[in-house]
Amino acid sequence: MEAVLQAIAAATQPGVLAATTAGAIAGLVVSAVPGLTFSMALILVMPFTFGMDALPAIAMLFGVYSGGMTGGAVSAVLIGIPGTPSAAATVFDGYAMARKGEASVALGASVIASAFGGLFSLVVMALLLEQVAAVAIRFGPAEIFALVLFGLSTICGLAERSLVRGLIAGVLGLMIMTVGLDEIDGVGRLTFGTVQLQQGVHMLVAMIGLFAVPKVIETFAGHGRVSLETVTEDVRGLLPWSRLRGYWGLMTRASIIGTLVGAVPGTGGPIASFLAYDHARRFSKRPEEYGKGEIGGVVAPEAANNAVMGGALIPMLSLGIPVDAATAIILGGLLIHGLQPGPLLFQTNLDVIYALYVTVMVSWIVILLAQVIGIRIFVRVLRVPPHLLAVCILGLCVIGAYAVRNSTFDVYAMAVFGLGGYLLQRARIPVAPVVLGLVLGPTLEQQYRTALILSEGSHTIFLESPFAMTFFALTAAVVGWHVWSSLRAREVRVAPSAEGSAEALDQSTAFSVATGRFSRIAKWRRRWR
Amino acid sequence: MSRADRWLGATLVLMALAWLWLVYTDIPDAGTEWPGPRGFPVLLGIVLALLGSWLIALPEPQASEPRTHEPRTPGPVPPIPDPDFRRDLAVAGRVFALLVLCAFLLDRAGFLIATPLVIVLAMGGVLRMRRWLFIACFAAIFPLGCWVVFSALLGIPLPRGSWMAW
Repeated sequence: MEAVLQAIAAATQPGVLAATTAGAIAGLVVSAVPGLTFSMALILVMPFTFGMDALPAIAMLFGVYSGGMTGGAVSAVLIGIPGTPSAAATVFDGYAMARKGEASVALGASVIASAFGGLFSLVVMALLLEQVAAVAIRFGPAEIFALVLFGLSTICGLAERSLVRGLIAGVLGLMIMTVGLDEIDGVGRLTFGTVQLQQGVHMLVAMIGLFAVPKVIETFAGHGRVSLETVTEDVRGLLPWSRLRGYWGLMTRASIIGTLVGAVPGTGGPIASFLAYDHARRFSKRPEEYGKGEIGGVVAPEAANNAVMGGALIPMLSLGIPVDAATAIILGGLLIHGLQPGPLLFQTNLDVIYALYVTVMVSWIVILLAQVIGIRIFVRVLRVPPHLLAVCILGLCVIGAYAVRNSTFDVYAMAVFGLGGYLLQRARIPVAPVVLGLVLGPTLEQQYRTALILSEGSHTIFLESPFAMTFFALTAAVVGWHVWSSLRAREVRVAPSAEGSAEALDQSTAFSVATGRFSRIAKWRRRWR
Repeated sequence: MSRADRWLGATLVLMALAWLWLVYTDIPDAGTEWPGPRGFPVLLGIVLALLGSWLIALPEPQASEPRTHEPRTPGPVPPIPDPDFRRDLAVAGRVFALLVLCAFLLDRAGFLIATPLVIVLAMGGVLRMRRWLFIACFAAIFPLGCWVVFSALLGIPLPRGSWMAW
């Protein structure tokens, strides 16, 4: 109890509160701009945290995460373009409500549902985190290797439209991380005699290049512009409590869906929101109203995609396994501040864990207030010319890359990764699996080799552990399922037209194929087009 | 699409072969048992080659085509990039050049000179904006603001440059 009180005191210090607030607002605003996902928001905010103490830095990152999850709905409702793939399902009814003159109600409903889903998953996370960590503390190198391999199966879920391309991306990420000094044998690998390469490629530098620079190039090339011509209504009357009567049960069920989906590697917000939308429509008394501006079509996906956060943080904090690109970036941020997620975190930094709970709660309150007070400002942000935002992003990229190790070599490296990321994007190779490879690659190799050293070169060490075998079986099941569903999905592939929806729709396709919901997805797609 | 996939696959196989050659020439065999420092990179090179070969052998049907004009005649002719693709690639090249220039200048001229220069080049050269007063103001204010926030407030050291010892 004393630790909890200390955590509350730490998380409510003015500096931490300010960092949480700034992070939440930054996440909210950046994600509201179509094309800038909350992964991008995390990347842009990361350099600001370098000069901070650990707790405000983490508070800021989690504030961005919470805010980013919510921000995508703003543009989904106001202009019919999801700010993030997770908000794709919100477009159907949110935008329809806006066109009926109920933009404020839709935005208010999305905010309330988001906060509800986020807080719901936070409670679940708080209840489960320590239990999972207590088991994980007994893991040795063989178990950790098997666990990281299971984490890498996330690549299948991040592969978007093509499993082979996702695997290519994952392998490229793993390759990048082999450059530098080998920690076990002390041998330089692909360093070509240069001192800078001895340190290897810093994962954050690679992430900045891969995520942010291609977006800047796209914007400079004139793609990704949006207009706000459809916004005709002013945004009064937010927080439509009376309209939400009768939807709390739906929000709870959607939050359960989101939390469960979030804890599964390689799934994330897009799948959760589509499943919740499907659930809401299926169990509605007025299913014919969905797609025409039914408030349930807004609250269900928003509650679900925000509940993903708590679910995703369970494996990330307790096992050190990120389940998507955003949690991989947060993991990188935690490592920079000397916090190693995993079971040991609960022994060495329990106060940080408790403070994190408080921080996330505070960020939800901030988001709620920010949406209510600042919705007019967000609309203005959507009007800022994208090329000016792109110039600012470019400047922040340079600062971020330099600040990681105070080295201009990292700025050069970021430029190379930026160009590489853009070329990958043009070749339809997703970037997110590269990031996963970057994050998990070193651990995978080190644990594998350590296990073999312990067993004097015998691979039976991996077969003797029940935990390792369980994770191997889970990996095989996940990969097998994705291979099967991607083969099935090839039969019904239809190109979505809206930017930002593509990833969401393709991820959800795989899931829906498995649950026999082909026709419904096809109908959504036709409507989308 | 399948032709583009085959070209991508061939590129990946070549990359994998180059990677394997580099691994064998650059990483010394530490004399330890498998995997040693070389094992993991070799394994990754092989996997990449296999995935590239997979794309060559079984190219993927894809409804959402990239912007390429595929020749109708059969045969090993690469797809001809359309003007949009060439323009986008040129923009990508310019952004890359800007970042390299920025990195070069950061060490020498420092953040407060390198960044405004790069912003002017980005807005005037890449974006073809002609509102020079606006560009000048933006190029002056944005780096200065960043300097204040990062260096003065957050204590993150930004490069001062070797040309000016201040």
